[in-house]
Order: sequence, then structure tokens, then C-alpha cells
Amino acid sequence: MASYNLNEVLKKKKAEKRTTNNRNEMALDDVARVKVLSPSMQVFKRFIRNRLAVFGAAVIIFLFVFCFIGPLLYPYGQKQTFYKYDSINVKFGVATESTSYTGYTVDSSIAVDTNTNSYMTTYIKEMLSSGTQRTFKVAEDGNIYQIDMLADDVVALSQRASKTVASFGKNVADVATYDAITRSVKYSGEDLGAEFEKKVAALKGNKGTFVLNGVDYSYRRGTGKNYIISAELEGFIYEGASLSEAFEEEAEKAAPGEIFSFDGQEYVIISDGVSNKVYSIGEAKLAKVFTTFVIDLYDSSFKVTDEFRNNALLAAFTTGRFTADGRSFTIVDNGEVLTIFDESGKEFGEFSNFVIRRSNGDDTIEYEAKVHIREAIEEMKSQNKLEYKFVTRLPQQSADGQYAYDEEGKLLYDDDSEVRVKQTDRNYELWANQVTYVIDRFASPSLTHILGTDGDGFDVFARIMYGGRVSLMVGFVVVFIELFIGIILGGLAGYYGGWVDNLVMRTVDVFYCLPSMPIMIILGGIMDAMRMDVYTRLFVMMAALGLMGWAGVARMVRGQILSFREQEFMIAAEATGIKVKDRIFKHLIPNVMPQLIVIATMGIGGTILTESTLSFLGLGVKHPLATWGTMINSVSSASAMAHYAYIWIPVGFLISFIVIAFNFVGDGLRDAYDPKGKR
Amino acid sequence: MLKYTVKRLLYSVVILFFVMLIVYSLMYNMPGNYLETKARELASRPGAGKSYTEWLNDLNAQYGMDKGILKGYFVWLKTAITGNWGDSWTWTIPVTEQFHNTVWYSFILSLISLVVEIVVAIPLGIMAAKKQYSFADYFTTVFAMISISLPTFFLATLLKYIFSIKLGWLDLSGMQGRDYADLSQWGKFLDVAKHFILPGLTISIISIGGLMRYTRTNMLEVLNSDYIRTARAKGVPEKKVISKHAFRNTLIPLVTTLGGSLPSLFSGALITETLFSIRGIGFASYNSMVQGDIPFVMFYLTFISIMTLLGNLISDLLYAVVDPRVRLG
Repeated sequence: MASYNLNEVLKKKKAEKRTTNNRNEMALDDVARVKVLSPSMQVFKRFIRNRLAVFGAAVIIFLFVFCFIGPLLYPYGQKQTFYKYDSINVKFGVATESTSYTGYTVDSSIAVDTNTNSYMTTYIKEMLSSGTQRTFKVAEDGNIYQIDMLADDVVALSQRASKTVASFGKNVADVATYDAITRSVKYSGEDLGAEFEKKVAALKGNKGTFVLNGVDYSYRRGTGKNYIISAELEGFIYEGASLSEAFEEEAEKAAPGEIFSFDGQEYVIISDGVSNKVYSIGEAKLAKVFTTFVIDLYDSSFKVTDEFRNNALLAAFTTGRFTADGRSFTIVDNGEVLTIFDESGKEFGEFSNFVIRRSNGDDTIEYEAKVHIREAIEEMKSQNKLEYKFVTRLPQQSADGQYAYDEEGKLLYDDDSEVRVKQTDRNYELWANQVTYVIDRFASPSLTHILGTDGDGFDVFARIMYGGRVSLMVGFVVVFIELFIGIILGGLAGYYGGWVDNLVMRTVDVFYCLPSMPIMIILGGIMDAMRMDVYTRLFVMMAALGLMGWAGVARMVRGQILSFREQEFMIAAEATGIKVKDRIFKHLIPNVMPQLIVIATMGIGGTILTESTLSFLGLGVKHPLATWGTMINSVSSASAMAHYAYIWIPVGFLISFIVIAFNFVGDGLRDAYDPKGKR
Repeated sequence: MLKYTVKRLLYSVVILFFVMLIVYSLMYNMPGNYLETKARELASRPGAGKSYTEWLNDLNAQYGMDKGILKGYFVWLKTAITGNWGDSWTWTIPVTEQFHNTVWYSFILSLISLVVEIVVAIPLGIMAAKKQYSFADYFTTVFAMISISLPTFFLATLLKYIFSIKLGWLDLSGMQGRDYADLSQWGKFLDVAKHFILPGLTISIISIGGLMRYTRTNMLEVLNSDYIRTARAKGVPEKKVISKHAFRNTLIPLVTTLGGSLPSLFSGALITETLFSIRGIGFASYNSMVQGDIPFVMFYLTFISIMTLLGNLISDLLYAVVDPRVRLG
């Protein structure tokens, strides 16, 4: 604008006159009475007379301050996640009914046969189903193992050195082998005579039976052309030296699986259904104790040794008293559980079939709570329910999730913690309220978070401010690109005309026709596929929006320049020999400025609208960068929309407000620049 | 006139050629071996019907993606001109079939919205112009500005929140109710109509503002013209001045722009349809775009570009038809 101010010059002249004339009154026709406003002042005055435009300007200024200065004063960042301690119902522990037998070594000097050891569970199951209290198993290591059911849940395994003495009952023994090629008979025992050999020589087929002298023989074909002949014999067959008739009598009296004594030696008979074998057995040496019980103690600091466990288990079904670690205890069998008392008669702990553990695997649940839990599960089972609620004692927690201790450093407990037991398959899940450190999601508006937090634990108010920054920045940058390209191309086209004009305007036509929204969506999809970094994305988006929006600016600039080109001031500019570049950019463009400012103002509004739509669709600016569009998008599902209206409604109104404001200001500017055209 | 039309048509074809060249370049520059990935994915889809190599050959044959960008463009152009648009990847039916399935929903939705828009915007615009600077004028101006500035997605969300969640009158989205199958013919029609209310309202509210402002501006221009002053001076009643002299002249620009917007009725409302799950062409193409369904997207972009060019042409021609003062050169 010209620096020549008519008002000032006139006033100065008047003052000079006054000093020469020394007269102080002002004449009626004094030029000083005429007030002249500069053109920009006129525009400003007209602008502020328009209430809507002033409102718009105020909104824009406010939002600028809010978005660019606000974050400096606000304590939270846009990507700052907030956490809180919250009491949430979590799976606090698991109770499992223990059904597998675990073996605890009593005497480590005894090497237990591995097969027997690993078959123990099967043996115990067999015994449980048949109801036997004691069985003997012959092991490959030459020992006999004695398995004693002390109770359903406690089994003792003892090793006894053994030796096979004899077998009796119906015995099938190989007596001879007949070789059909050499026609010879080989006896394993005594010779059976010529009659037998005659019979054998006539054998045919693969197997069969024949009777000779009242003895049943059977034969089967062995390898090649020989037959193995076995005889079924009754009576005792001794492995070693034969024993007396009295022994045989004693053995026949005793049932299989039972121990009998003869001559100061203990024997056991083991039957395989047909024949019985008699073994002499040595002294029983207790090797292992198998149990399903797990031990829970009052005093969690007490270290349970194998000695303590074994002694307790063995004592439970015998004397009821045991010593371990130099202390003496008593143990009582209460059916489901075995309760241990210490020397003062106080309850010390118990064995039960429930393994109750914290979810992280720690065995840190207090004894009393365990008893409650077990009782609750029994109760639940008896009521045939899958869920059950009860009240027990759980460790007290402070507001920040720490356990509370008393002065002596002992844990404090909440007496009325409610626990829910839920049966799942074989396990019982224990659910209780526990204070946990969690992300503060969807917090309602409060003093610490003015608009609450969103689904990622971000402060909504902070994100609104940062989101506004992005939106405003996108608006300005995109419009700047549009203006930059539009002015240059439009100016060239308008000034030169001819083929330049034609080329530029045809390009404008093409860009006018280009479907910008679909292209932006496709571009967003491509950037998604490329996993582009959020900031790069933002720049690509701004560039693309700018590239697609310049056509309007160029068309406007060209039109204006075409009309100005023929005017006198341009002829004058040409006549004075001003350079072409200066003629375009110093004389023509400033005249187009008013329209450009209007177009730019409205363009910013439009760009913010496009940007927020793209971001809403998830194709513009991406998480974790905040923009208003993404903020609405994050709560646009039906349920989120209903519950978190305090997030999306303010944001939506902000978008609308800023666009409206830019449109009002643009409108107001247009009217102010061109009052004649005001409609 | 005929000469002008032919000239414009040829000119439009040239513009379309370059528009599609830009769009094709964008598609061509999709991230490395996008087509291969796509072909593999398509082949592994249930009911794909074609193997990986078959898909890849198909795609290459149709889009010339294995050739240079210009050569490829001509390959695509050749297949497209013969009407072979290929099979949509997202919808697994021929592109043209999917187009037929969807375009009429979009058309109906846009038509309803256009009717509502005209019925509301033109009378309000004229009223505002008649009483310039009155309260009604301010009100319409502000309303128009809000309508122009409201983001579609926010308005849609707001309407859903009010009418579906708070009041529970209408469904959140979709085109049919839960019990659609059990309804009679008439009931089915009503059910679908009910689901068109919210999207129709959204499009109407968003577009009313522009038309209202346009009507008001043009009406004001006419009212300030000399012939109106003359009419008033010779004592024509104000009612007659408005309805006969002013309104008829205001119709010229209105008819032109509305006529020009007719082809866009087929283009669908991309965002509104998507937000309300109206199975129109906008919804279909949005899903195609997001999923990189090149055949459908290329078709859709060609289609809407043609519609835009057609709209411009119709608008220019109508201008000459409605206003005898205008001669086309």
C-alpha cells in the first residue's frame, strides 16, 4: 500500500499555516476536517462491522492460542499414557484337585527299579479298583516290591530281596525238542522213553496236543523243522533244592499275594493265573512313599523336608506321632485331610488333595484362605454348581497395589475379601478383586483429566490441543502449496496467453476433473500397505492435497489477470519498461491479493474438513499422532459412541467450529474488500 | 449448438484420457509386487476359481503392469474400451455386475436427498434474499454456513447418536432390519425406506447450505437489477415482481447448476454410504479402494470422472438453452 497518507500531509500543511498566521480557529472549509482512511483501514473497518466475521476471527484466534500455546501450559503430552491402580476382578489363583501320585524318597540308599517306579500309578489304580491293600510286584532287578495302601491317597513302596524257590499248580514246562530232519529228540529234563519218541516222530502241522500216559502234551512248531513239546504238570517244580512236603502243604494253603513263613523264612506266592511261583523274600525296606496329598502349613516360613513329609504321612496311619527336624508332631486322619498338630497341640498344617496356587505359580496363599477355598470347593461340588462365592481372608493391598504389613513386618489381611470359584474342566479358578497397575482407559472427565482419557490412556484434552495443531498446520501448508502452484501457473497463463494459457488451462481442466477424495483414499491405502512412518505420511498427505487443489487458484488468478492486463496501469507499467517478472508479481498479483486471501481463508477451512474426514476413515494422519479426525474415529463404534460421547462430541464441534470460523472470516473479507459486490 | 456439443465431447474425452493416465500412474506405482501379493491372496481365497499364475496373468494382461507405465496404460485402455473391466477382487463378481447391483441404491439415495435439498434450500434462499439483513436472512446465512462446514462423518455420527442410540427410532446402519425376510413386499419397501432416512438426511443437510447460498446470491443479484427496479417503478405488485420477474430469472443459474449435478446422482456418496453401510456404489468403491481392488477402483474412477465431465457439459448446454441471451462459441 502507498505510504502517502493524505490526512497526515494535510494536517502538516495546516500546522505550518497556523504557525505563520498565528490563528487558532479552524475554518469551516478546513481540509483538516476531512478524514481519510487508508485502504487497508477501510477494509478493516468494514470487516469488524460484520459480526459473523468477527465471531469467526475470534474463534480462529482462540483456537490458535489454544492449540499452539495451550500445550505449553498443559502438563500432559499427546502420547503420554496414563496408568492407574484399579481394583479389578482378576484370576487370583487356581485350585487343582491333585490326582496324580508323587513319590517321595524315604531311603535314598535303595535303588528302586525304574520300571516299577514309573508303573506305580498304574499299580495303584489297579489296587484301588480291585480293593487290594497289598500287592507284590516282581521287578527286573531281581527284587520283589511290596506296595502297601496306607490310605487311598498314601501308598508305601518297599523293596524286598527275593529268590525264586519253586512253582506249583498247573505248570506248563517244555520237556523236549524234536528235530524232524535228524529225527532226534532232545530232552530238557528226564528221558521220557521210546513210546514218547514214537509219538513225537508222527507230529504234523504247526501245533496240536496229544495225550500219553495220562499226561497232556502240547506241541508247537519252532524255527525250521523242529517241534517243541511241552507237558502240563501238576505239583511242585523246584528251581534249586527241593524242600519238604510240609513246605508244599504250607504253600498250597497260602493264597497268592500272601506272605507265609516256613522255617523262619518268609515266602510269598505270586500267581499269573495258571501257575503260582513261590519266592523267598528278605526284609521289607521302605523305599518310597507315594501320595496325592500336598502339604499346606500355617507357618509359611517352615521349610518342608522330605523327612517331615514322609514321617508325617507314615505316622498318619499308624501311631499318629512323628518327629522331624528335632520336633515332635501329631497327625490325625480326618478323612479328606490329614491335620498336623505341633508339640503344643496347635494346628500346624495339613495334607489335602487340593493344590492351591497363585496365578503366577507362587505358593503364597495363606493357610487359612486355602482351607476356606477347599471347603468352598467341597461345598460347591456337593451342591453341583459350577460357580460359588465365599468370603475369606486375602492379603490387604494399599491403593497403589502394594501389600500392607504391620509393625512386625507381617502381612495384613482383609477379612472380607470375596472370592468367586469357577470350575473349568479339572481346575477351579479363583477370582478376586486385586489392585493392579493398569492403563487408565476411558477415564471419565475429572480434575486430573478435564475431558477424561481415551482408549489408549491418553489425555483427551491434551490430544485435542495437539490434534488442533496438526489440523491447522495441514490447512495452512496445503493452502500454501495450492497458492504457490496456482499463482505461478495462473499468473503465467493469464499474462502470456496463447499456448501457455492453453497448456495451463487444459492441465487445470484435468486436475479439476480428478476425483480427489477417492484418490486420497487410495493413497491412504497405499501408504498403509507400505507401513509408512506417521510423519512421512503427514507430509505426503499435505503434498497430495496441495497438488490436487491448485487448479481453482490458478483459474481464479488467470481470470483476474486477464481482466487487469488490459487496464491502464498495466499499459503504464509496460511503457515504463518494468521487467516482465516484476510486472506480473509486483503489479498484477497484488491486485489479485484480495481474492487470493478470500480463497485461501476458505481453502483452509475446506482442507481441515478433508483432512479430518481422511483421518476419521483412518487413512490420513495415524495413531499415535493426534488429530481431530482420528480422535472421533477411535470412538465411532456403536458402543463406544454411546458411552464416550464426551470424547467425540467436543472434538466434532471443534472441527465444525474452526471450519465455520474460516468460512465466516473468508466471507467477511470478501465483503470488506468489495463492498459493492456484497450480497 | 451441435458443433459445440461435439467439440466439447471430444474435448472431454481428451481430459478423461489424462485424468485416467494420472489415476493409472497412481495404481501403477502401488508398492512393489503388489499385484503378486494380490494374486497370491486371491488364489488362496475360498472359491477363487483361478490359480496364482492364472490370476497374475489375468491382472497383467488387463492392466499391463509388467510393461512400462505408458505402454501399460494403453493396454488397460484397450481392454477397458472393449468393455472388459475384469472381475472385482473384493466382490469376486464382474465389475460391471457389481456396478449394476449397487448403482441404483446410490441413485435413489442421492435423488431423495436432491429433492429434499431443492424443496428446502430454494424457498429459504429466496426468502432470505427478499428480506436482506432481516433475522431470517441472518439465520439462513448462518445455517447455510454451518451446513457447508459440518464434517459429514461428524453429522452422521451425531444423527446416529441421537436417532439410533438415544431415541432408538432408527437402526444404526445397514439397509434392512432384523426381520426383513419375514416382511411382506410393502413391509420390505418400508423397511428399506426407513433405513434410508438417516443417510438421506445427512446428505441433504450437508448439501442444503451450498444451494441456499447460491439461490440467495443469485436472487439478490436479480433483485438489484434494473428490470426489477423498472417493474417496481411501474407499480407491479411486489408479489408479482418476486414470482414473475425475479424468480424466473433466478431459475437460470439454478437450473444450470442442478442440471449439471444430475450425473453425479449416479456417483454415490462415498462417506455417507460407508458410514451407514448402504450397499451403494460409494460403499462398494470405498471398500474396494481400501482393499486395493484395482479393477473396481479403476472402473469407479473412470465412471465418476465421466460423470463429472458430463455434468459440466450438461450445465454449459443448459445455460444456453435456458438463457437465450447466451450464445455458445
